Amino acid sequence: MSEQVHNRLAVVRAERKVSRQALAETVGVHYQTIGYIERGQYNPSLDLALKIARFFELPVEALFSLEPFRPLTDEVYGRKQQ
Amino acid sequence: MTTATKYDRRMYAIMNDRAPAPMYATATRRRVVIGAHLLLTAAGFAAWATTIFSDARWPLFAMLAVLPLWMVATGVINGATRGLLELRSRMLDERQLAERDRVHAVAHRITGVLLLLAAVGAGAAGWLGDVRVEGLVSPVLFAVLTVHLLMPLWVAGLRIQDDPTED
Repeated sequence: MSEQVHNRLAVVRAERKVSRQALAETVGVHYQTIGYIERGQYNPSLDLALKIARFFELPVEALFSLEPFRPLTDEVYGRKQQ
Repeated sequence: MTTATKYDRRMYAIMNDRAPAPMYATATRRRVVIGAHLLLTAAGFAAWATTIFSDARWPLFAMLAVLPLWMVATGVINGATRGLLELRSRMLDERQLAERDRVHAVAHRITGVLLLLAAVGAGAAGWLGDVRVEGLVSPVLFAVLTVHLLMPLWVAGLRIQDDPTED
């Protein structure tokens, strides 16, 4: 019944040079949980999603979406999706 | 984790100790450890049951020989699960709590089937064979109880995903 929630957590985390361990400690979860979220194997609760968004100072919809994310380069340079 | 006691923190540190991680780093290694744990459990149970339900005393020494190996294997599986079944709820995060619930649900279904098979098997042995069902009740019940207690550990060990590569 649970729907797939897409996320770009791995991309943003890599861009900000934040380790899974550091992110996990800040938002109060086990570091493995960050990996599970990044691989789409676990959908975080709203509470956790908001904590992660607050950590990166981004709106939650910049990190999590019910629709697949477009590649960041497409969004930045405005390439139309095929 | 604000209400964690000294015991909680100690257990958390033990369960998340990365030193033995190479022993359970891959799915194959975890399956081998769980297979060994199953065999050691069966051997230990057989030795214990022989000690209890017969006059022989040598199985007691066999059980004592198996026990340390069984404890090591149990520790490895618990380490692989990061203490999913050993730590108190307050030391687990939301994903781990959800995973623990799933593990218990799967283990419950499996042990339910095994309990049914054990009951049917014991009944059939009494019906078809030359066996007194009353004599089977105790060892079969203890065997099922052992499986019931350990099934969550085996299920949890088999459900673990490999750690992603470090950043």
